Amino acid sequence: MVQKAAAPAAAAAAADYAAEYIRRTQARKLKRSQEYTASRFAFGTSLAIALIALLLSFDLAEGTVNMISLAVAAIFLVESLFELAVSLLVKRAVIQDRELPRALRWSGLFSAVMVLNGNIFASISGFTRLQRERTIEYTLSIYMLLTTVCIVLVSSLNLFKAYVANTFLLGMYILAGLIVFDLLAMLLISRWVTRSATSRKMLPLALCLILSAATGNVFALLIGIITISKLRHKDKDINIEWIDILSRLFRNNMSIIGMFLVVFLISLSLCSFLTFDYSIAVQNNYGAMLLAPSLKYPFGTDNFGRCVFTRIVFGARISLVVGMLATATPLIVGGLLGAVAGYYSGRIENIIMRALDVLYAVPSILLAIAIVAAFGASTTNLILALSVSSIPVYARTVRATVMGLSSAEFVEAARACGARDHAIILKHILPNSMAPIIVRATMGIGTAVLSTSSMSYLGLGVEPHIPEWGNILKVGSSYLETNPYLAIFPGLAIMLIVLSFNFFGDGLRDATDPKLK
Amino acid sequence: MRVKVVLELSNSSAGAVPQGGYRSFSGKVTKYYRKMSRLPVYQVILAVTGFPTFLFVLVKYLLAKQNSRYYSCRRDMARQLEEAGAKEQLHQSVLSSTQKKYAFLHKETSQEALNKEVSRAVEQRFSELVESELAKTPEGQALSRPDLASSYESWMESPLFFLFSLVTAPVMYLIILIYSNPYSKYIADRLVMMVFVIFGVTFLVFTILYFSPSDPAINALGELATPEQVQRFKELHGLDQPYLVQLFKAFKNIATFDLGKTYIGNEDVLTALLRKFPATLSITLASLCVSLLLSIIPGIISAMKQYSAFDYIFMLVALLGLSIPNFWLGLVMIMEFSIHLRWVPATYSAGQLATIIMPAIVLGTELSATIARMTRSSMLEVKSQDYILTARAKGLSSRRVTFKHILGNAMIPIVTAIGLQFGGLLGGSSVTEKIFNVSGVGSYIVDKQFVPDTPAVLSGVVYIAIIISIVNLAVDILYAFLDPRIKSKMKNY
Repeated sequence: MVQKAAAPAAAAAAADYAAEYIRRTQARKLKRSQEYTASRFAFGTSLAIALIALLLSFDLAEGTVNMISLAVAAIFLVESLFELAVSLLVKRAVIQDRELPRALRWSGLFSAVMVLNGNIFASISGFTRLQRERTIEYTLSIYMLLTTVCIVLVSSLNLFKAYVANTFLLGMYILAGLIVFDLLAMLLISRWVTRSATSRKMLPLALCLILSAATGNVFALLIGIITISKLRHKDKDINIEWIDILSRLFRNNMSIIGMFLVVFLISLSLCSFLTFDYSIAVQNNYGAMLLAPSLKYPFGTDNFGRCVFTRIVFGARISLVVGMLATATPLIVGGLLGAVAGYYSGRIENIIMRALDVLYAVPSILLAIAIVAAFGASTTNLILALSVSSIPVYARTVRATVMGLSSAEFVEAARACGARDHAIILKHILPNSMAPIIVRATMGIGTAVLSTSSMSYLGLGVEPHIPEWGNILKVGSSYLETNPYLAIFPGLAIMLIVLSFNFFGDGLRDATDPKLK
Repeated sequence: MRVKVVLELSNSSAGAVPQGGYRSFSGKVTKYYRKMSRLPVYQVILAVTGFPTFLFVLVKYLLAKQNSRYYSCRRDMARQLEEAGAKEQLHQSVLSSTQKKYAFLHKETSQEALNKEVSRAVEQRFSELVESELAKTPEGQALSRPDLASSYESWMESPLFFLFSLVTAPVMYLIILIYSNPYSKYIADRLVMMVFVIFGVTFLVFTILYFSPSDPAINALGELATPEQVQRFKELHGLDQPYLVQLFKAFKNIATFDLGKTYIGNEDVLTALLRKFPATLSITLASLCVSLLLSIIPGIISAMKQYSAFDYIFMLVALLGLSIPNFWLGLVMIMEFSIHLRWVPATYSAGQLATIIMPAIVLGTELSATIARMTRSSMLEVKSQDYILTARAKGLSSRRVTFKHILGNAMIPIVTAIGLQFGGLLGGSSVTEKIFNVSGVGSYIVDKQFVPDTPAVLSGVVYIAIIISIVNLAVDILYAFLDPRIKSKMKNY
């Protein structure tokens, strides 16, 4: 009796388990398919951008509709729907374990050109779909191409200005040539590079790619270095560790977007030497004071009639340089101190760490204020001040890692072979403790950019006439009531760059974490 | 009662249980004395604080050293061993092993350097050999090397000496008492460290300001000041004195809470700081509360439902909070809530509770983001531990596992992070104070640094550093009592 009553319940439970099992296998399959995840991501981000543009296009207070914004919303909405349809088709094919249909692959071409209206997510999804077997070089080449295209798009906004820089045309020709070259490189990579082998023919291309990295395109540089180190590497079966880390990094969408934005800004600040006119950013133009955003002045003009957009483009250069220098200096000084303190326990460690405790006890921004107070507000002093106040942070990170490593077996082996202490520290311990240091430094650049703008806002940072983001924001803050965009755009720029570094750093941490391999 | 006391007295005088209580007590004191005198720093402290006692101990030690049989025995043993050819043997073996080492490493050394290295190693090994041989003989076992602690021990056998030294050197016994308890020793160590750090901070900030190329006298008096005026100004504020004198004065001022007067306006720095501290502290504490509210619970949910939509969105928001420039957030909030919606006034005033909300949120954004990320990651780390699996396996309810076991263990790094970030809050308040027009310590320092008004900037920075150090000390001490892992470490402290 009891068994008979229990039987249907047991059958139902078994069916539940089966359904759950199938659901999980499908989810795992979908997660593995990059075509699917990329199109899903493109759908989500495009939809989000469309919604934001839609919200911004209605001005409730005045009851007007911004047509440009509405058009952008409509375009992104259509594109997001296209990606949704693609993702559904891909899903069906993946679940049934079929190859993607040829037409679906070729539809990637349509998605790929969506970069022309700024939809890089759809474009990434399109390029991903075009290629059946994607190598890390191919993925990098997608981002390389997109970076160049975006630079061209941003630079061409200058066409609406009254005049352009003398070198503008030259710059645009070079960039157009680079786009063609990048496309060619992409095609050749998809031909000559497979998971298992890299063709010898890639060598000249790799050298050209490294040369093209002069425009700040780090992706091109990476492809070149990867190709060369793969060609030099004899044993094909052993993976090169940093290339492994890189390919793990590319599994994480957010961190790649962060890296892309960082590379884009580096590239933009280098290309702006050719395609942007510095005088528009710094010369007063009393005929165009406090104008609202338009095609001619995408972010409006400030109280001296200077184009805020151009100022922000030039500000990227200063922010990046200050941020990187203010990270590199304490990284080297603090890193060496931390390495020495971690390797020699005892009195040397005590002296170094107590001295750093003193530095650590003062909040970094206050110490920076005190240093700038003493030596005056200038860019060099700002870098010095920010560097000094972040030495202890890096020293502690390095010390913790080195302490763990100094009792490791390979260090003991080196010591037994009679290696000197400085050789052990520099050759054996530091290279092996690089991962946490690089992660911290990546996040540190973001923090340094934030501190720079805070100091400039207080009037203690970069000299006021230089278009630095904090300075632009400081000007904007006095026009909050009448011209809020003057404060909003530079703030968004700061937030974007810091966010990119943070995303990138988070992704690097996950990629280098041995537990998550 | 009385009979009992008399009985005890008579007992002790009779010597049946002679000084039982005292002996164990003196044994304890001697034990800690011996432990402390092993470290040179403590030896100096003991010598200075217990000066008369130390003199007695020293005299006895010197006498003991001269008369001790230990040294003569050791000499005899060394001679015996040398006669037996032990030193020769040692020399041979050390020489050959050193030569082998250099041959293996393919390194060349001069004969002189080799001899030096070998003879040093031989001396060391030989003295080790003598010690170990000496310890094997019955005579050697009975003897001990005379040291300060043992002469102190022999003095301490008489209670009279103890009484005498207690009266003359109470500080030394206080230090021994503190040392005897691991917790009090830990706290005392940290306090000493804190004092050191505070003087270090004073030295650092003063030195930076002293070597400033800009002249505060000119900045305070204006470009048109005559040389006599400048000279008088410098004399008035002691700026003409040498560096060390000024530094010492700065130390004295910080220690005695007499902070001097500002260069401009001649106002008393201490009263100014005391007037401004409440505003800074209340904003900081409010932002601490806000960020704890905004971060801990979502962080827990995020960790418990990892990879859920909530987790992704919340972590994105947290990262946004980490990346947003807080002065910009302040400006945008003023624009939205003060100018457009007119909900709260844009400037902070002490009495009105509503005006503290915006500064607290702006200041607390970074902290909330940090704590939220920290909570999530440390909960996730604890969640994957084996003991959590055990707790689940033995059938604890999931709520109990989450809150008691996971959160309890994950709290430790979170509390440290909060303690450390509190410093960032106090320091970062200068920007927030500037935006919301708060007259707090941060904006005071920023206003005064343009001169640079050394007394004001120095005392502002040093006192903020002091508060941060105290908070960190409190967190660490709290920790030492709460965390069982540290508790067990404490036993061997």
